[in-house]
Amino acid sequence: MAQIEIRDLGIDYRKPKSDEVFSAVDGVALSVEKGEFVTIVGSSGCGKSTLLMAVAGLVALSRGSIRIDGKDVTGPGPDRAVVFQEASLLPWRSVRGNVKFGLEMQRWSGGNLDEQAMQMIRLVGLGRFSDYQPHQLSGGMRQRVNIARALAVDPEVLLMDEPFGALDAQTREIMGTELLRIWERDKKTALFVTHDIDEAIFLADKIVVMGRNPGHIKEVIKVDLPRPRDEEVLDSEDFHNLRKRLRAHLAEDMSSMQLVQEVA
Amino acid sequence: MIAELFYRRQALILGTLSMVGLVVLWQIAVDGGFINPFFISTPSQVWAEFVVQFEDGQVAANVGATLYCFAWSMGLATVAGILLGMLAGWFSDVEAALEPFIWFKYSAPTVAFYPLFVAWLGYGTPTIIAIAFLFALTPIYANTLSGIKNTDRDLARAARSFGAKPYDIFFRVALPGSVPVMMAGLRLGVGRALTGVVVAELFGANAGLGYAITYYGQLMQTTRMMVSIVIVILLGVILTQILSFLESKTDSWRTDTGR
Ligand SMILES: Nc1ncnc2c1ncn2[C@@H]1O[C@H](COP(=O)(O)OP(=O)(O)O)[C@@H](O)[C@H]1O
Ligand SMILES: [Mg+2]
Repeated sequence: MAQIEIRDLGIDYRKPKSDEVFSAVDGVALSVEKGEFVTIVGSSGCGKSTLLMAVAGLVALSRGSIRIDGKDVTGPGPDRAVVFQEASLLPWRSVRGNVKFGLEMQRWSGGNLDEQAMQMIRLVGLGRFSDYQPHQLSGGMRQRVNIARALAVDPEVLLMDEPFGALDAQTREIMGTELLRIWERDKKTALFVTHDIDEAIFLADKIVVMGRNPGHIKEVIKVDLPRPRDEEVLDSEDFHNLRKRLRAHLAEDMSSMQLVQEVA
Repeated sequence: MIAELFYRRQALILGTLSMVGLVVLWQIAVDGGFINPFFISTPSQVWAEFVVQFEDGQVAANVGATLYCFAWSMGLATVAGILLGMLAGWFSDVEAALEPFIWFKYSAPTVAFYPLFVAWLGYGTPTIIAIAFLFALTPIYANTLSGIKNTDRDLARAARSFGAKPYDIFFRVALPGSVPVMMAGLRLGVGRALTGVVVAELFGANAGLGYAITYYGQLMQTTRMMVSIVIVILLGVILTQILSFLESKTDSWRTDTGR
């Protein structure tokens, strides 16, 4: 049985100041095997974050079900950890304090909090910065803290919502490579949302392409590039072909979006 | 070197210069015969009178009485304002229930309640404390409320993703995140509490700086009155500066964008 089983998932949001509902995600079915790295791409507003937050247990399901290791998701749990796009770090806590935060919230009892936090901080390459405050760090470093905080609670499933979305292209590439290096250690199941095509291919075992109105899965693409990967795969022929295929998908989505705008 | 120092402390230096300028101008205006000293006295006379009042113990007695009422009113307003603000910021029903009182306080001058308090508590210390308490309460309450209510949603969501309960979000996210804005409320409250004490003392007291101001004012003894006025101003500046300093300590993560 797959580790994550999503069936007929639908999520409705209530429109502000009215009783009307609007469907952000509908009819989504997806299964993710243990240890699989799945990236989710699609134009903005197609429900990528909504889907991810549903798996995190942070938004209520309107239809269907999400099961993790056979158990229905009804809320957040210690089997999952989220890395958000916005540097959602507590500005009054140091790097170490922030990494400990998740452990504290989970009433973690697996040993010394400080040691566990420091180990993760070193893993993401911030050993020398453990006493820094978030405002003293660059955007890339802050996202490393976010990743360390999520890894510290040792989740079964790692959920990432455009964690590198706010970074410049170069930092983003470095972070992608770093993330793979860390992931290779124990190959945790990962769901990673991005709108960057190269990033989606580079990280993935499987790419989920989403479309809009309402958010649905258009295609699931297997990626068979060899691991461990480094920047060299970016120049391989397989990579180019995948990139072309994804581009076509997203271009389609963009043009239908423009049509909608012209009609409206 | 000196230029650099000047730029870094520009605000402080310019502020000091303009204050010194005002004092010098005040002295010159009276000495030069442009203003009758009866209306405003002179800095040198005020200083001489200050020394007299200091030596005969009046300064200590008046400052002591005023600070006593200030400390009680500010202490009570801090406890009440923060407790009520936290409740109202967290539970919107509490905010809605308290809303009319806040409007009431904003639209009606607090001193208007003075006779009422006199009727309940009599002339003197309890009434002064009650008035100053009301003066200081609003900014402390309002700032605490807005701090808790405007808790960063992203932070709260991140906390929830790790299984935080509402209790955790309040104490670990909302409350620490509100400290800077609460400190700003306390800074405003300090100025208001002192004003409240002095205003209430003007109306009815038998000690305190406000009492000394009315007492000498009614006797038309301008210089003696000016001593207490200047002390009130200095007290206000000092207390507010202390709070500003504490405020800057607590929100370094907010103002300091890092280098
Ligand atoms: N909390 C919310 N309330 C109402 N509508 C929302 C909310 N969050 C997202 N939406 C809407 O749902 C749709 C999908 O949003 P989202 O999942 O954030 O898309 P993506 O992450 O792919 O950009 C969008 O149209 C967005 O405006
Ligand atoms: Mg999104």
